[in-house]
Amino acid sequence: MNNDRREFLKQTGWTVLGGSVYITLFSLLPGSSRAATATQHLYAFIVDTEKCIGCGKCVDACKRENSVPEDFYRTWIERYTILEDGTVTVDSPKGGSAGFNPVKTAGPVEKSFFVPKLCNHCRNPNCVQVCPVGATYVTKEGFVLVDEKHCVGCSYCVMACPYGARFVNPHTHTADKCTWCYHRIMQGHTTACVSVCPTRARLFGRVDDPQSSVYTILKKNRLQVLKPETGNEPLTMYIGLDKEVR
Amino acid sequence: MKHYNHIIRCILLLVIVVIGFFIARGALVPESFGVHGTYTYGYHRGDSAAEQADRYALYQGSTKCITCHAEQSLLWQPGRHAAVSCESCHGNWQAHNNNTSATIEKDNSVETCMLCHRKLNARPSTFPQIPEFGRHLADQDEQLQQGMLCVDCHDPHDPM
Ligand code: HEC
Ligand code: HEC
Ligand code: HEC
Ligand code: HEC
Repeated sequence: MNNDRREFLKQTGWTVLGGSVYITLFSLLPGSSRAATATQHLYAFIVDTEKCIGCGKCVDACKRENSVPEDFYRTWIERYTILEDGTVTVDSPKGGSAGFNPVKTAGPVEKSFFVPKLCNHCRNPNCVQVCPVGATYVTKEGFVLVDEKHCVGCSYCVMACPYGARFVNPHTHTADKCTWCYHRIMQGHTTACVSVCPTRARLFGRVDDPQSSVYTILKKNRLQVLKPETGNEPLTMYIGLDKEVR
Repeated sequence: MKHYNHIIRCILLLVIVVIGFFIARGALVPESFGVHGTYTYGYHRGDSAAEQADRYALYQGSTKCITCHAEQSLLWQPGRHAAVSCESCHGNWQAHNNNTSATIEKDNSVETCMLCHRKLNARPSTFPQIPEFGRHLADQDEQLQQGMLCVDCHDPHDPM
């Protein structure tokens, strides 16, 4: 081998040149260009746990609107029962879709409340980061969606979601989750769950529109999110969360 | 001199592989695939969002029902159930859309009301709840009988 310096520099030069031509070629290809429109997070979902009566109408409406398979839930209601001795029990019979019945507890109840849950449509969604095929993404309005036609059903996203909001649909064998009723919002309706909530415990709207129901709440209320330590920055926010809620 | 042959063959092979790659890529990757929005989270098939938006909304809201059912709406609007959507008791509009008559749900059972009004610890105490069917009117002369329906005394569209 002739390993002199001139030869080495020549080879390096060619490699760099070739590499840069290759990369330029790639970026000139249609579809791989970086689009100019940046993602905006225009919407927020607010859940007021102090108003929820656990009637389950939202779960039922969601299931019908989105044909969610039986025993799977895009939104569900959890009932927390905290006894005076500190034991916490959480139950969600059928996701709360058929309402709740009174429970027999081991001791006196300190407090009890309902917490509706759904996809948090995070600003930094873990589930999108782990998708190996680009089948889940954030739309330009800030909705986190699943591309059913492209999903391979590997369920990495199901495991990555810290909120357990995703599942693999047994009929399509692809990842499935709450879409914040993307189709309804784009057609000018509100989400199915919000439209049937009798106590306004659920609200959805644009964050930048003073007419929207969430606008003033975002401005005036002190809101919390679930598991802020994960850094996902959820856009589903809660009023009156208890420290026991996970 | 004969060594150049090897190099030319290598280059030819490389060119064929590269061309093959681009042909395969063009055939396999959907047309609108690329970055739409922020780079980190926007790598996807761009048409997907539009496809999903193009789906019929089954729940059309109470404003839809009001257009045809003036009688119930006039009771409902000023009443205590004004916050309760027609569709939360009657099921969604889609069931009604195809056949305007009796395909919509109309359940006058006790369970319809108890779903929301059953006494539960977890419910906010300000919400009107009734403890048990038999004890509903305990402080009054009238007692509720077995087999009596809530709608016998309360109009579901204007309960009070
Ligand atoms: C296009 C007009 C129209 C709209 C809009 C409409 N309905 Fe009706 N609805 C009818 C007609 C017509 C009937 C049949 C009346 C009859 O049989 O006497 C009916 C019947 C009903 C009945 C009674 C069925 C029965 O078994 O007696 C219910 C309950 C009902 N509608 C609820 C709704 C609800 C809830 C909505 C809103 C989602 C709605 N309707 C929207 C026209 C409409
Ligand atoms: C709290 C639940 C509830 C809500 C909200 C509600 N309904 Fe009803 N509706 C009922 C029940 C229960 C019946 C059956 C009454 C009966 O059998 O006496 C009924 C009956 C009807 C009927 C059939 C007429 C009749 O008297 O049998 C129509 C039409 C109707 N509702 C329309 C509406 C419309 C329109 C709205 C919204 C403005 C609405 N309902 C909201 C529970 C509800
Ligand atoms: C989807 C939930 C829901 C269903 C189902 C429902 N209600 Fe209600 N009901 C409410 C809400 C919300 C209010 C208003 C509470 C308030 O004003 O604080 C209410 C109020 C009432 C009131 C007035 C209570 C008061 O103190 O002002 C009565 C009576 C009543 N409902 C009876 C019924 C009957 C009878 C049925 C069955 C036909 C029924 N409800 C079904 C949600 C529901
Ligand atoms: C015999 C007639 C009758 C029947 C049947 C009946 N109610 Fe009532 N209900 C009343 C009267 C009268 C009041 C008002 C009483 C009062 O203010 O204490 C009332 C009050 C209520 C209230 C308001 C209570 C509160 O604390 O504000 C609710 C909620 C209610 N009823 C729900 C129901 C439900 C649900 C059913 C079916 C399981 C039902 N009612 C069956 C007559 C009846």
